Amino acid sequence: MIAVSNINESQSMQLKINQLSVELQGKVILSEVNLTLHSGDILGLVGASGCGKTTLLNTIAGFIHQTQGELTLGDHNGDERSLITPENNIAPEHRNIGMIFQDYALFPHLTVEQNIIFGIDKLNKTAQQDRLKDLMTLLSLTDLETRFPHQLSGGQQQRVAIARALAPQPKLLLLDEPFSNIDARLRNELMLEMRQLLKKLNITAIFVTHNKDEVFTFADKIAVMHQGSILQSGCPAAVCQQPNSWQVADFLQLGSWLPIKKTSVNQYQTALGKVNTTKEHQVEKSLQQLLLKPQFIKLLNLPELTERTEQQAANVRVDSISVTEQGYHYHLSSIQTGELAFERLSFYSNELFALAQTLRVAIKDHELVIFEH
Amino acid sequence: MIAKQKNRLWRGASYFIALTLMVPVLVMLYGGISASNELFIHLWQTVLPDYITNTLLLGVFVVLLSVIFGVISAAIIVHTNVVGRNKLRWLLMLPLAMPAYLVAYLYTDMFDYAGPVQRALRAWFSWQSPSDYWFFDIRSLGGASVVIALVLFPYVYMLARTAFEQQDQNLLRASRLLGLSAKQSFYKVALPLARPAIAVAASLVLMETLADFATVQYFAVNTLTTAIYDTWLGYSDLASANALASVLMLFILFAVVSEQRARAGQAHQSNRPNKNHQLIQLTPFQQFIASGFCWLLVIAGFILPFVLLLLMAWEYSNIEQLQALLPTGINSIEIAVWAASLTTVFALIFALFKRLSNDHWRALPMNISGFGYAIPGTVLAMAMLATFAPIDYVINDVAKYLSWSTPGLVLSGTIFALVFAYVVRFAAIANGTIGSGIEQITKSIDYAPASLGVSLFTMVRKIHLPLLKSSIWVAWLLVFVEAMKELPAVLLLRPFNFETLSTQVYQLISDEMLEQGALGAILIVLLGLLPIIWLNRSRNENPKEKV
Repeated sequence: MIAVSNINESQSMQLKINQLSVELQGKVILSEVNLTLHSGDILGLVGASGCGKTTLLNTIAGFIHQTQGELTLGDHNGDERSLITPENNIAPEHRNIGMIFQDYALFPHLTVEQNIIFGIDKLNKTAQQDRLKDLMTLLSLTDLETRFPHQLSGGQQQRVAIARALAPQPKLLLLDEPFSNIDARLRNELMLEMRQLLKKLNITAIFVTHNKDEVFTFADKIAVMHQGSILQSGCPAAVCQQPNSWQVADFLQLGSWLPIKKTSVNQYQTALGKVNTTKEHQVEKSLQQLLLKPQFIKLLNLPELTERTEQQAANVRVDSISVTEQGYHYHLSSIQTGELAFERLSFYSNELFALAQTLRVAIKDHELVIFEH
Repeated sequence: MIAKQKNRLWRGASYFIALTLMVPVLVMLYGGISASNELFIHLWQTVLPDYITNTLLLGVFVVLLSVIFGVISAAIIVHTNVVGRNKLRWLLMLPLAMPAYLVAYLYTDMFDYAGPVQRALRAWFSWQSPSDYWFFDIRSLGGASVVIALVLFPYVYMLARTAFEQQDQNLLRASRLLGLSAKQSFYKVALPLARPAIAVAASLVLMETLADFATVQYFAVNTLTTAIYDTWLGYSDLASANALASVLMLFILFAVVSEQRARAGQAHQSNRPNKNHQLIQLTPFQQFIASGFCWLLVIAGFILPFVLLLLMAWEYSNIEQLQALLPTGINSIEIAVWAASLTTVFALIFALFKRLSNDHWRALPMNISGFGYAIPGTVLAMAMLATFAPIDYVINDVAKYLSWSTPGLVLSGTIFALVFAYVVRFAAIANGTIGSGIEQITKSIDYAPASLGVSLFTMVRKIHLPLLKSSIWVAWLLVFVEAMKELPAVLLLRPFNFETLSTQVYQLISDEMLEQGALGAILIVLLGLLPIIWLNRSRNENPKEKV
């Protein structure tokens, strides 16, 4: 077994990013990013492609130089703290950071064993062999020492990449979309395995993904990036309950967007009727967007055609149907046209409707989440 | 895929052409092996050890120098922020267009005792005679090695550069994070990964070196190629020439086999490589050394000899030379067009057979017809003579028997043998270009026309050929240029009084009168630039720094 207590000590560090900005070829890629990680934290960095996640990772690793701001890598107690500024750069090889790449980047000309000891060849042979043996056992890689990377399965390759990254006992581990190459059915299992391992070794880690679902399985913290900035960070459940901007809510797909218009201090008009709020929303624009989760939509009975009043008429049309564990999943569009019209509202029901069937739905009373959009 | 009837026809044609191309070499090898023991013993006791030593030393020196020149320049271009990187990137390929024997002549002119360099040194230091100072002798094995390496290193440069560029940069990043500096990462990761590409390039350089004739002949370095030439033209000893050619052939085979063995089990690249290169930032001093190294190669391998040629042409050319250029130029173009067209058509037949047939051995014709590239022109010429001369005799005997007028050497004494030799030698170039072109076409395209009720030949004519247009053109162009430059095969096989640009230039070089042929030499170099420009056009986009 690898000396877990040893690793614990060397990994008890934190990362502090203060007002970090990166410009490449005159273009701002990261702007004033702030982030703090305590030892053992696992952070999931999410955001649409091109939002700067990988750039942030590469800046922390030292492959990209920051234009402004500070990066502090260091021990809890502060005696091994290293401050990286635009003037005081530290080369990647001296940052003591491990990284697991999307394609694992295993050296194809080296065996599993040579890959793993690549970063610890300064240690004496016995120490190398001891650590190799510990890691091979820890990651269930025994008997694969002499294989080359192309002779391994995807899961084995990933474990070798982990072993190689852990061998020099890094303070911080960076993972760039580590699960994207793994078969969907194996992914959850591997994520849980890896999380347990990181927790056991108390390693601080940042992992980048564009798949929000991975964050909930793998991370303790989430940070949502958008156009080079971190919009919101915190515990995943809290972020989902209280998204601080429409971009966060939109990326995490927390519900559908419904155009609404203020009619009085506590009341809004929508294509699905009026909704009331207890909070007073201070918004200047007349048209806003309501984040509407499927559970807050109720289906109303339609009276016979002849008996309908105008208020009882159908207000949505079924555009698509799919089957899920929670019943039938529908995408609805509004029948009404004009500024309050919408094209896509997610709705679940156990009842099967036909395509193009018209329905009447309403919004249940709940605490409204409203954004300018 | 191909209907049975047509398949048989196509298979027959493919095998027939491929085997026909190989027959002369087999005949020559048979002749060489069955040459009498006494002959070998005689050769062994007299000249063979020297020839073999020289050939081996030349091969080793040229390969070493080319690898040093090519790998270092490729590493500088791909991995550093050297000044003028984008220009040097393609400038370093230009020496390929320069025939080594031209550089040999021009540099001898410049660096020997009577040349401007030594004259200037003597004037500067007031030296009187050669005993007053030491100056390297360019007409030596070392000189030949440097000159040949200067024009062949671009093979190593191009393949190593591509290998470095294709490498997954995450591998280098992983190495950095595991504690290695940028330089250490290059030695421990990038270089070992590029080894297969460098080995292929080195074997190409070795083949070209062993095939070189004019440079070593001019420098009076006796190698197997010059020996074959002298034995046949000097002593009319076909058997000995065949034996020497067979020895050289075995050398080449050995080189090819060892290169392939070195490559076995190598080259596993990532599927989605990250090509976002992290350039090593050079200090001003390193900048000076790095760009100086690259520019020196470009200047010594191309710019200086080309400028010398231009000056020569400017000073000595006249209208008569231009007129004299015309018939030899037409001869060159005539055989180059034949060779280029035939190899391209054959390559198309092989490639389409390989693609469309369901024959178990469908790749065989393409593969065996490509062997000829490894055979030096001199050896090929011997093979043509060994094969076609006896056939010519038979033809003439039959004519005599039938009391017809004897037709003479219809096969070995006309451009037939020459074009045949070219086709054998350059088939691999056309095969490779068209073969990789056809692999770019998705397989399902082969099935679509049949499902639409279109016949095989209509499909090939309307689908494959138009899609292959650019590969066909590149293949034709590459063979055309190589054929324009080819020298030793022409020297041995040309019909009486038949001159090409290269033989004319070589003749003038041998007579120390290149001034008279500077225009022809310039033409050869300019034609040689065509495929380099063409290939560079499609590859010159630099991998952009992406975010």
